[in-house]
Amino acid sequence: MSHLRDESEEHDTAAPRPLRPARNWALILGAAAAVILMTWWSARGIGFSLVELACNLPGGRRLLVESWPPDWGFFPRLLAPLLETLQIAVIGTVIGGLLAIPIAVLAARNLTPGVLVWFVDRNFMNVLRTLPDLFWAMLFAAAVGFGPIAGALALTVFTVAVISKLWSESLEAIDMAVPEAVRAAGGSWLAMLQFGAIPQALPHYVSYTLYAFELNVRASMILGLVGAGGIGMVLETQRSTFEYPRVTLIVLSVLVLVLIIEQISESIRRRLT
Amino acid sequence: MTTRAAWAPASGMGWGTRVTLFVAILFLLCAWAIDLTPAALADLPSQMVTVLSFFYPADMAYGATRVWPALLESIQIAWMGTIIAAVLSLPLALLGARTLFPRIARLVKLISATARAFPEILLAIYFVPIVGLGAFAGALAIGISSVGMLTKLGSEVVESIDMGPVEAVQAAGGSRLLALRYAVIPQVLPEIIAHWLFRFELNIRASAVLGVVGAGGVGGVLLNTLRYRHFEKAAAVLLLTILVVLIIDMASGAIRRRLLR
Repeated sequence: MSHLRDESEEHDTAAPRPLRPARNWALILGAAAAVILMTWWSARGIGFSLVELACNLPGGRRLLVESWPPDWGFFPRLLAPLLETLQIAVIGTVIGGLLAIPIAVLAARNLTPGVLVWFVDRNFMNVLRTLPDLFWAMLFAAAVGFGPIAGALALTVFTVAVISKLWSESLEAIDMAVPEAVRAAGGSWLAMLQFGAIPQALPHYVSYTLYAFELNVRASMILGLVGAGGIGMVLETQRSTFEYPRVTLIVLSVLVLVLIIEQISESIRRRLT
Repeated sequence: MTTRAAWAPASGMGWGTRVTLFVAILFLLCAWAIDLTPAALADLPSQMVTVLSFFYPADMAYGATRVWPALLESIQIAWMGTIIAAVLSLPLALLGARTLFPRIARLVKLISATARAFPEILLAIYFVPIVGLGAFAGALAIGISSVGMLTKLGSEVVESIDMGPVEAVQAAGGSRLLALRYAVIPQVLPEIIAHWLFRFELNIRASAVLGVVGAGGVGGVLLNTLRYRHFEKAAAVLLLTILVVLIIDMASGAIRRRLLR
């Protein structure tokens, strides 16, 4: 070993050995300590215990045995709620998709008419994104009453949050030569958007709208848990009476529907971009 | 009218027009089916303003005594769920990489795709009777449903690395395990941790919702306040949730940017 090291030191004079990248031990240890502390605090707070999990597994097996096979005879009663679920998703996607256009344009740094508008709009978008879809569903159910309209409104807000964030980023990435040319030729701000900016990012818009539709179909399945229409309302009544064979049937049909919609939407999106 | 001409293709109905028409008709059919009439739509803004006025002023005393602990519990659920998912998904991400384990990768990807298809709230419906009402069920549901996405993203990161160091370790006589430790992990860890943090941001929102099915956290509090029409208390829930989520998003975003630099 020793003569090997000597040799390498001789080489050092010719070409210095690259330095081993220095590790910031203080940062690494600090981060590790923070993670361990946070995990300890969380595990204690929620009563996390593997022993309890192991003890409860037999009971869990009983539940799984009971919930299989699904109650196929219940299926005809699911058709109307499933259809309503899709209707809610369509309405939320269409209205939300339209509302997202101005919000995304104003939040794009390169297109916005003023810094103040940009700032307000961007923060508005951030706040919209903080609340989960079911919170909006609860709010609208309280505001306009239980039913599919509350669900459609909740998904509208959710859609605006998703599309405006993603699309404003695509708008910021467009080639500004064309919009500038429209302005230079005397076009108004709106003309600049219509002919210079939006056509460039239109495929992205369609792609994100389809993506939002996928998310909405998935979300609309559970909106009914808080009374906002669709299949979730059936799920909630069956769940609260512990009819697990029916719950399994609902979960399975929801999954199949979600997967079908995803396949269709993904194949369209692949062709777009 | 001249602007129209520039938009439309030279002859016939273009793709864009056809798609727009299709979507418009579909929309009208759906709106008709759920009784969303123009009159109801026009009525909405005033209705919303009325309801919103009930939310003021927020009952911050309730916020401090009831909402804050529930919100902390939501954070704990999200954190534990993310930790569970991180621990399970790291080996799966390596096994799911086509470039390292060509034979197992396909199977791992199939499993992760199935796990992704389940919304966490549906998993929670099954976990609540198994481990009892409460936060533990929520953390398990979040953990399991996050494994799918983290495995997929992790495998993609591993597949995109420079294979040079891996070959170098193996050429020097290192085992496959050593190659993972010294050639793969150092390359992928920053990006994978960034994905974990991103998933933590998503899980905060997911765990906030789980209370609806009795799996702990702030969702149950919001549901109850709204059910009994205590709008000032609901306002406290919303304000605190928005605040906490914004802060966590910003902190996590800052760390992620540093990691990926």
